[in-house]
Amino acid sequence: MSELDRQIAQLKACQPISEAEVKSLCLKAREILVEEANVQYIDSPVTICGDIHGQFFDLLELFKVGGWCPETNYLFMGDFVDRGFYSVETFLLLLALKVRYPDRITLIRGNHESRQITQVYGFYDECTRKYGSANVWRYCCEVFDYLALAAIVDGSVFCVHGGLSPNVNLIDHIRTIDRKQEVPHDGPMCDLLWSDPEDINGWGLSPRGAGFLFGGDAVRQFARANDVDLIARAHQLAMEGFKHLFDRMIVTVWSAPNYCYRCGNVASILELDDTLRQEYKVFGHAPSDVRSVPIKRPPAEYFL
Amino acid sequence: MDSDAPKITKTDVEHTIEHAGWRVQTFTYPISNAAQLDDIQAVVGFPLPEMTFGANALTLTHLASGWTYTFDTLEALKGVKNGELGDGDGGVRVGYADAWLKSRTDPNSNTPMPKTVETKPYDWTYTTIYSGHEPDSSTLTLDWRPADANNPAHTIPMSELTRRDPILYYAHTTLYDDELHDNGESSVLARVRVMPTFIFVLVRFCLRVDNVLFRVHDTRLYHSFASSPPLIIKETSGWEAPYNSVKRKLPDKRDLTPLTDTAFIATSLAEIEGSQQQPGVTKWRGLGTQTQVATIPS
Repeated sequence: MSELDRQIAQLKACQPISEAEVKSLCLKAREILVEEANVQYIDSPVTICGDIHGQFFDLLELFKVGGWCPETNYLFMGDFVDRGFYSVETFLLLLALKVRYPDRITLIRGNHESRQITQVYGFYDECTRKYGSANVWRYCCEVFDYLALAAIVDGSVFCVHGGLSPNVNLIDHIRTIDRKQEVPHDGPMCDLLWSDPEDINGWGLSPRGAGFLFGGDAVRQFARANDVDLIARAHQLAMEGFKHLFDRMIVTVWSAPNYCYRCGNVASILELDDTLRQEYKVFGHAPSDVRSVPIKRPPAEYFL
Repeated sequence: MDSDAPKITKTDVEHTIEHAGWRVQTFTYPISNAAQLDDIQAVVGFPLPEMTFGANALTLTHLASGWTYTFDTLEALKGVKNGELGDGDGGVRVGYADAWLKSRTDPNSNTPMPKTVETKPYDWTYTTIYSGHEPDSSTLTLDWRPADANNPAHTIPMSELTRRDPILYYAHTTLYDDELHDNGESSVLARVRVMPTFIFVLVRFCLRVDNVLFRVHDTRLYHSFASSPPLIIKETSGWEAPYNSVKRKLPDKRDLTPLTDTAFIATSLAEIEGSQQQPGVTKWRGLGTQTQVATIPS
């Protein structure tokens, strides 16, 4: 058994690998990712997954439903980390699979694969807790900068974490982005990872004061210009695990069941066969045992 | 059999106690499904929080009179401003809004603003000062009047609240929660405890907008079983302060996780001078404290 196979087995058992092993794994991952295009070409059949958010035991459920890598060809659309309690094991397992089977798993970047966001939403905290320093977090963040921004299956299913950008009419425009950086606060790279579909015509400004919303028109125009049949994205929670919009031109795929261990939602993965027929496989959360949900601080029953 | 013993029933989604002439019910369902969300959105008219627990509620019923008071998700959401925000609504934008807009409108921008359509204006922070309501099922509508500051019976007694008597019933339920697209968090959490001598409810709206502000609105209900006729005290309080004033209160400056703890936020806001006084950060109308009382007629 190779060293890497041993690490994969260890991570599958939800045991973190050593800091030195993380460092070397991240270096190898970067060597592979740096060769990938901003928009990765993928051949069908492929299984497309949405947000995971550190819900490690639910990721194992996902593999049970979808099959293991490399038997199944996977595309994960980002947001591997934060919020859940096992971001370290989740991201490192996916990364180890990437290094072991680079042609059978594609990882693209979500808005949580960012230094700033992970400092607020748990990954930084988890790394320092589990390793006693921020080194592992730093190694992982360096990998984040190399992740592809989008993928396209058989030239006709466009996959991205958030959505469209008003500055990206053609998929070729994405190829000109210098992606090897922290996710910026504005510009097309930011939009691809952050924007949301909304029931409007064309483009709208988010009421939050930053960011775009895109309507059915924008989706149709993009699809026509790029000869795309479907846009698959993640980024937004869907109680049913997936949600179609705009005459099924776009679908949100959500792969974190019982999100944050309290939403009670189901999750799904999208299987595209070699004719690009869509099948959504829905699954629930892992049976809770003592390990799946760590004890949180007890609720303040004597609240005032 | 001891007729004073509380009757408690509990399932995955409902937790009920009957004690001292009252019934307290707490509902804890999963988030609403697409059809339920569409129904709620049709009523409130704006995009809903990511985690909308549409069927959750906390309900108190006085059994002898049938008077009922409830906190539920739909009414809490109706308290959120739908439409253009004006004075007192406490509207804010995300911390990097100016920089973002500048990057799009700068004449030399290489990512110029596209033609955009009007998007629905609403308070994306989901701020609400909802303090519960009497549902249609309530047989009575009580007459709430300002508490008499000189009457000790009109104040929630802290000494009794802090006493470690046995808790007969404790429950909490989230009405909604939204992470503001990773720009912070907005949530409404309802909690209740039934004690040997009183019922106490705390419903807390808590808002964090990263690098902008913190805001809390609390509703407390207190009823002493000893009061006759039965007296209900309702205290509502609002605070807000700039993000950095709360951040300065962190015990460990590198660990930002307390900033996601509503108890830490509420305690910190209460310690910050001026956090309850106008103009606050945004002239939000929820600032300050008001106490009202009502009696249930026999």
